[in-house]
Amino acid sequence: MPNAVAEAQADDRVRMGAAWTPILPFLVVFGLAAAVPQVTNDYWVLIATRAAIYWLLVAALNLIVGFAGQLAIGYVALLTLGAYTASVLAAGNVLPPLPAFAALACAGVAGALFGVVVGLPALRLRTFYFAISTLGFATIVTQVALAWQSVTGGGIGLPGPELPSPFNTPSGFFYLCLALAGACTWMTANIAHGRFGRALIAVRDADVAAEAIGISKARLLVTVFLFSGAVAAIAGGLFATLQTYITPDAFTFDLSILFFISILIGGRGSIIGPMLGTIILTLLPEFAAPLAAWSTFLYAVLLLLIVLVAPGGIAALIDFRSRKPLAADRAVVPRPALLDHVLSHHGPTGDVRTGNRLQRPISLRQVVLSFGGVRALDGLDLNIAPGAVHGLIGPNGSGKTTALNVISGYYRPEHGRVTLGDELLGAASPVTRAAHGIARTFQTPRIVGEASVLQNVMMGGTIQGRATFVESLLSLPRHRADERTLRIAAQFALRTVGLERLGNVRADRLQHSELRFMEIARALMLRPAFLLLDQPAAGLSADEIARLGDLIREIGRHGTGVLLVEHHADMIFDICDQVTVLNLGRVLAQGTPAEIRVHKEVVSAYLGG
Amino acid sequence: MLISAAEAVLAVRGLETGYGKLAVVHGVDLTVGAGEVVALLGPNGAGKTTLLRAISGLLPWTGHVQLGERNLRDVGPREAVRAGLSHVIEGHRVFTQLSVTDNLLLAGYDLPRGERAARIEEALAFFPEIAAKRNDRGSALSGGQQQMLAVAQGLVRHPRLLMLDEPSAGLSPVLVDRVLDVVTRLRRQGTAVLLVEQLVEKSLAVADRVYALAQGRIVLEGRTDEADLPDRLQHAYFGH
Amino acid sequence: MLTSILAAGLAVGAVYALIGVTYNTMYSASRVMSFTAGQLGMLGGVLGSLFVLRLGLPLIVGFVLMLACCAVIGIVTEIVAVRPVLKSLDQHLYVLSTLALALMIQQVTAIEWSTEPQPFPRLFGIGTGTFDEKFWLPVAACAATIVGLEMLYRHTLVGRAFLAIAEDNFAARALGLPERRLRIASFALAGIVGGLAGFSGGELLLAFFANGPLLNFYGFVPVALGGLGNNRGAVIGGFALGVFQQAANFLVGGIFSSVAVFILFIIVLLAAPQGLLGTTPARRV
Repeated sequence: MPNAVAEAQADDRVRMGAAWTPILPFLVVFGLAAAVPQVTNDYWVLIATRAAIYWLLVAALNLIVGFAGQLAIGYVALLTLGAYTASVLAAGNVLPPLPAFAALACAGVAGALFGVVVGLPALRLRTFYFAISTLGFATIVTQVALAWQSVTGGGIGLPGPELPSPFNTPSGFFYLCLALAGACTWMTANIAHGRFGRALIAVRDADVAAEAIGISKARLLVTVFLFSGAVAAIAGGLFATLQTYITPDAFTFDLSILFFISILIGGRGSIIGPMLGTIILTLLPEFAAPLAAWSTFLYAVLLLLIVLVAPGGIAALIDFRSRKPLAADRAVVPRPALLDHVLSHHGPTGDVRTGNRLQRPISLRQVVLSFGGVRALDGLDLNIAPGAVHGLIGPNGSGKTTALNVISGYYRPEHGRVTLGDELLGAASPVTRAAHGIARTFQTPRIVGEASVLQNVMMGGTIQGRATFVESLLSLPRHRADERTLRIAAQFALRTVGLERLGNVRADRLQHSELRFMEIARALMLRPAFLLLDQPAAGLSADEIARLGDLIREIGRHGTGVLLVEHHADMIFDICDQVTVLNLGRVLAQGTPAEIRVHKEVVSAYLGG
Repeated sequence: MLISAAEAVLAVRGLETGYGKLAVVHGVDLTVGAGEVVALLGPNGAGKTTLLRAISGLLPWTGHVQLGERNLRDVGPREAVRAGLSHVIEGHRVFTQLSVTDNLLLAGYDLPRGERAARIEEALAFFPEIAAKRNDRGSALSGGQQQMLAVAQGLVRHPRLLMLDEPSAGLSPVLVDRVLDVVTRLRRQGTAVLLVEQLVEKSLAVADRVYALAQGRIVLEGRTDEADLPDRLQHAYFGH
Repeated sequence: MLTSILAAGLAVGAVYALIGVTYNTMYSASRVMSFTAGQLGMLGGVLGSLFVLRLGLPLIVGFVLMLACCAVIGIVTEIVAVRPVLKSLDQHLYVLSTLALALMIQQVTAIEWSTEPQPFPRLFGIGTGTFDEKFWLPVAACAATIVGLEMLYRHTLVGRAFLAIAEDNFAARALGLPERRLRIASFALAGIVGGLAGFSGGELLLAFFANGPLLNFYGFVPVALGGLGNNRGAVIGGFALGVFQQAANFLVGGIFSSVAVFILFIIVLLAAPQGLLGTTPARRV
């Protein structure tokens, strides 16, 4: 397929060439900011410094709120912690006084640890509960600062760290903060546009699918909390220097709301949006002095308007690309011939292999599972061989989708085992399936509407990335290599299912049938040994069903074992090598399509009686 | 024999509906005459439940739906009930935290107080088993009894058309017969019934006419006394 | 000492319990938790002080007027912050919209009323010491509310309809119940309960705009502990919280008592995310 490879690489080059356009707004803003000390007085330099420090924190918080979708409303707790830690260490109230930069670094470490503590409840609690718990943290930190008089000076407060020259002048300090803000912007942008950023929004918007892809929510979130906590605390230390003297009432709830609203006004999943939001909200009180008392009220009104009218924020409003009209009568035409490239990779001896080198089957043995008092699976035995298409059909309530969910690890059976060859597949751990090469699609497409089609498909290959979080942060070579590989693989997958022309379109603009094929492309990224399809033909036209059938058959021929749960009897009988019929949670009949179609018990189970 | 639009209790033309982007029902025509029992059969995922939900206003739809002389465009479930349409949804979903009597009281929410008590008694008359448990909470009833309660709820308002969505699901054969008996009694007293079912033989025994729905389209229509019906149904279910 | 801890603890606990009931009532009607619950409690105190003390209205008139205002705020919450986001695909927008509304209420109060705690009128002038009315009024209000709600749910058609909507919204719609109207009525009821909480606790908490976020948090703890939608759990949780808080106040001082409460809250929630008396959530896949 040299043509297809060349096309994919050409696509990539075009993309790189266009890479400058997104950077432009940032250059403009930072350029203007750098000019501030030259053209205005100290007062405005201080305001600009404040904006830079706030943006430093908001950039970090953006990963938590905007990308991970965790509503940490009380994040000012990190600012408070950082400010006090840096100030206390610099003043020498506990240990001998540290130089200012060392104090800032220590604040960063404290912030990282505390950030994890504040964020951990997100892994267990629902959204509202987590939001309230962060508010609690914010209150607690302020209370402790107030009470621990010997260390923090209580209500009287203490001086902030003094930086050495040349950073002890307004413009010197400003350029330091601006530089740090710029570095942080760059780092968070690297994360946002890379594997980790995509994994975060997958967890945010499609958490069930994220598990199937192999994304470990806990590990991902803890990593982000560590990073964001450290940056926020450093911002706190700088804030203390800016204020020159801090007391507990400098860290009001209003400040927390400001940070939070900046992100929402700016728009989730964007970097430029929250940056503009932060700048606007910091500068607003300066230009509307009489409204200063009402500033929090106006922020709240703005938040309400955003939520009701433009939930996507500024970023959505300026996203002109996503408004370009799409052709009305688009047809999805897969190219099964490209599966060679997508599913194969080179083994150790240079031969071309598919995902399932060991040719192990998936087996269910005597699986029992009940919901409430009803037995959904009542002693199910099932064997899915690699390299074949295995249909699973049955009347309503027979347990088809439940069986698929047990295999993909979402449900824990009460009795029985699920094995891959000799290896036991863990129960209630869907995250482990991807590493075993088991991929799936869902009854209703579970995708990230706000991300592009290409990004959605790239999410499928998340666990194949080898760069660590730090390498992504600093855009080191391994990260860039990962991105290139993933992108090319995703473009191939899109070509294979016939969606290559919609790669840059927001996924929520796609038709239902296109979303189904997109989910399959995402699943193919794992080069799966097994592909579990949950009613993929639902809502497809007759033509599309035929093409889907061809694609599935080819996938089977390339060595992937396909489990096809379906209602469309035609499709099942056309493309399956084996068919299992379930009824009331156990196997009613098993055999080739020809055998099943005339099987008396099957017919009567379907027609009742 | 065609039912003319004037006699029909329910006239559906070109109905299309679905869930968001997913179109499930693609242009369905269907009629139910006064006092008729019509069975709507079809394999899973055909769209039977979705069709009923559109008719009763639980889902948005396009096309034409008429209940007697009343056009149901833009009419929500509450208005549909008031117009004489009762929809007993699938899954015997009664309110388990409330008593049997309370469940029936709520079914008659919009009725004048005096009438309510009388109608409840009439509904319970169809199901002596649950009349005996009238003060028990919904959670104390078995699945079959809950299904009977759900049907009783549908009867409180003396509907012109009663739509039943898979009343046999999860029920033992004895209870299924019990429920279908009630359908026969309703037909005798002039209530039209649209019965969505999985159990083909039992439905055919109780219905006058039958439609089969597959992949969102009507693939079969006929009277239950036609001789070749079972064969035609099997074809409809299994495609070719 | 013990009696005064108990008296203060039960009193403030009753206020927390009632705010918990406010949260639960809003949740039962809409599956949404609203930040305006605590603000309603705050308004009960502020409006009570405004009507009775500042404007000099007779007690019963001021009380009824306060309840009416709070009912209206409850309805506004439904119309502005809840209904629009119920239709959206993003299920968490309600956190932001109700937060925005709560902030607006809080800021208007701070600016128009006062940023300092203002006195709350002595309502009846009954009792002294541990039997002062400021201790048993909230408890009486809590008891009256629980009994009132019980009677509403068990003996009126509307109350039963509330229970139906809370249990199975879809089935209620299919049955023909006026779901939208009932939801608005539920939010009005929630407003009344919140206002009652603030009014009966006014002598204890004074008329202070900062009571809003305070009650938001401390009124939520009983809900988290007792399980969402579970009023019995909210009452038990509220009283337990109140007594625990006062005891901690006495033992380790005011500031560390809030730390203690918070740590307890986090630990219980992490161990039992659905609350100690709550139910397990629905299947995800």
